[in-house]
Amino acid sequence: MSMLTYLIRRILIMIPVLFGVIAITFFLSRMMPGDPVYSHLGQHWTQEQYDAKAAELGLNLPIIEQFFRYIGDLFTGNWGTSISINEGSEVWDLVWQRFPRTLDLTIFSVLISGFIGVKTGVLSARHRNRPKDTVARGIALVGVSIPVFWMGILLQYLLTYQIPILPSSHFKTAWYPDPEFITGFRLIDSLISGQIYLTIDYLIHLILPVTCLGFITLASITRQTRSSMLEVLEQDYVRTARAKGCKEKDVVHTHALKNALIPTITVIGLNFSGLLTGAILTETTFNFHGIGEMLLASIVASDYYVLSALVFAAALIFIAINLLIDLLYGIVDPRIRY
Amino acid sequence: MKKSHEQELVEEIRLEELEGKENPQVFKGMIKWISRNLKFLFVPGAKIEDLTVRETEYEKSISKRKFIRRLKSTLTIIGIGIIFFIVTLVVFPEWISPYTREELTDFLTGSYSAPSPEHPLGQTEVGRDVLGRLIYGARDSITIALPAILFALFFGIILGVIAAYYGGWVDSVIMRIMDILLAFPGLILVLVFIAIWGRRMEYFILAYGILGIAGYSRLIRGSVLQARELPYVDAARVAGAGNWRIMFRHILPNTIQPIIISFTFDIGGIILSLAGLSFLGFGDSRLIEWGNDISTARAMLYSAPWAAFWPGIMIIITVLGFMLLGDGLRDAFDPRLRNL
Repeated sequence: MSMLTYLIRRILIMIPVLFGVIAITFFLSRMMPGDPVYSHLGQHWTQEQYDAKAAELGLNLPIIEQFFRYIGDLFTGNWGTSISINEGSEVWDLVWQRFPRTLDLTIFSVLISGFIGVKTGVLSARHRNRPKDTVARGIALVGVSIPVFWMGILLQYLLTYQIPILPSSHFKTAWYPDPEFITGFRLIDSLISGQIYLTIDYLIHLILPVTCLGFITLASITRQTRSSMLEVLEQDYVRTARAKGCKEKDVVHTHALKNALIPTITVIGLNFSGLLTGAILTETTFNFHGIGEMLLASIVASDYYVLSALVFAAALIFIAINLLIDLLYGIVDPRIRY
Repeated sequence: MKKSHEQELVEEIRLEELEGKENPQVFKGMIKWISRNLKFLFVPGAKIEDLTVRETEYEKSISKRKFIRRLKSTLTIIGIGIIFFIVTLVVFPEWISPYTREELTDFLTGSYSAPSPEHPLGQTEVGRDVLGRLIYGARDSITIALPAILFALFFGIILGVIAAYYGGWVDSVIMRIMDILLAFPGLILVLVFIAIWGRRMEYFILAYGILGIAGYSRLIRGSVLQARELPYVDAARVAGAGNWRIMFRHILPNTIQPIIISFTFDIGGIILSLAGLSFLGFGDSRLIEWGNDISTARAMLYSAPWAAFWPGIMIIITVLGFMLLGDGLRDAFDPRLRNL
C-alpha cells in the first residue's frame, strides 16, 4: 500500500475524532456561565433589544441548528467577537496576532530539544552505566520532575537579577516597533524587511522561555531515546553489523538509530499536548503575550467566544500533529505502511 | 495407592474447572485472590499449597524473588525512601510541624521575613511559615492525585479490557471516544471544567480521572490485543470459562504490568499538573498548594527568594520519588535487562 493510501486512511480516521472535538467544544462552551447576549448589550437594555440581539446571534434557534451554524462559523473564520480582550475585536484577528509567537516558542523548543535530546540519549545508551550516562540520566530525571514555571522563576532570578544578562519578560523591548506585516511571524518579517535589530531582540527574549520549555521536553526525549536505543543495541542485527566490521559510529547512527527513533517519535507526539500546556505556563511566567495567556484571560473573564475558539484551535493542532507523527512513522518505518 | 494431598488438590481443581463453577461471592473471592497473590509475591518463602499447584505453569517462584532483588538497586531504594517520606508528611503533618493548619492559612505578621529559628525557611507574604506549608501541602496534593488515579485506573482498565477483548464495533466506539478525550491537551480540559463548574477540589479529581481513563484504556488495550491470541485463552474457554471470567481472571493479571509502571509515573505527572494549575491561580483556595505558594511569592522574588524557592524543591522531590520508583519497576519488569 502506498504512502498516499496510508495517509488517506489516517485522515479518514481523524474525521470522526475532529467531529467529536467540535461537538464537545460546542457543548462545553454552551455550558459556560454567563449570558453572551448581555455582553453585547450595553448598560441599559430593553427587552426588545435583548430579543433582537438574541435573534441576531442565533440563540433562539433549536440547539441542533445552532450546532450546525457553529460548525459553519468555525470553518469560515467567523469566530465571534471578544468581549474582554480589546473590547469588540474579532477573535480571529486576536488569535492570529498572538498565535505566531506561541508557535515560535513551541517550534524552537521542539527542534532544540529534539536534536539535543536524541544525541544525549544515544550517548547515554552507548556509554551505559559509565559516568557520562549517570550524569545524563540524572539531569533527565530532574528535568521530568521539575515544574516549568519554577524553573522559569529560578532562571529569572539567576540570569536576570543576580547576573543581569538576559531580559526577564515580554517578547520585545517595550519601545521597539513591530516589523511590517508580511507573514505575521515576527522573526521572518523582521528579517525580510531588513530590521535585523528586531530579530536579534526577539531572539534574545526567546532564550529563557525556550530554555525552560525545551529542558523538560529534552529530558523526556532523552529518557525515551536511551531506553529504546538500549533495546535496539541488543538486537541481533546490530551484532551482525559489528561482526561484519562496521565502524561503531556507523552501527549506531545508520543501523540502530532509525529503529530506535520510532518510540521516540511517539513520545514527541504524545508530549505535544504537554508542550501546549507548558507553553501556557511558560507564557504566564515570562509574560510572553501568546495564546496561552489569552486562554487564561478568557477563562478569568468568562469570555465564551475566545475560549471555545482557542480550545478548538488547540485540539485541531493536536490532531494535525498526530497526523504528522503517523506520517513520520510511515516514512521512517516501511513496515508500518501495511 | 493412597493419594497424596497434592493429587487430591489437582483432582479437585479439575472437577471445579469442568463444572465451570463460578464463585458466587465475588467480593470475597476478589479479596482472597488479591491477598493470596500479594503473599506469594512478597513473602519469599511462601508456600500456599492451593496456589503452588494451581499456578505452576507461570510462576517459577525463583523469578518472583529475583524481581524483588532486581528492585533493590540504589536509585529505586532512594525513590521508595522519598515516597515513604512524603507519605509520612501526608499522614502525620501535625507531628512534624509545630504549626497547625489554621495558623498556616491565617493572616499573620512578619511578611516575607528571612529564615529565623522559629521559621526555618522564612515566611510568606502574609506571615505564614514556609516550612509548615511545605509539609501540609503534601497532604493536599496527594489527596487530589490518588483518588483521581484510582478512579481512572478502575474505569480505564475495565473499558480497555472490554474494548480489546470483544473487538469489532465495541472496540472502535470506545477507542474513538478515548481519542476525542485525548485530543484535548490536559490542562485545557481541566481549565474548561473549572470555567464551567468552579474551582473545587472534587472537580479536579473528576477532570484528571476522566483524562486518565483515556490513557489507561489505550494502554491496556494494546496488551490485551496481544494476549487475546495466546493459547491459554483458548484453554480456558475449552475448560468452560465464560467471557468475563477469561477477561478478568486470566488475561488481566498478565497485562497489568505496563499499567503499574504507568501508575507511578502518572501520580508524579498529576502532582506536577496540579502545581501548574494552582500556580495559574485556578486551584481550590481552601487547599495548601505548592504551586500557589510559588505564584504568590513571585511578587517579591528578588528580595525574598526563599518563599518561592522551597515549594519548588518540594515539588521536585515528590515527583522525583515517584519517577525513580517507576524507573526501578520498569527495569525490574523488563526481561531483556538480564544483568542488573
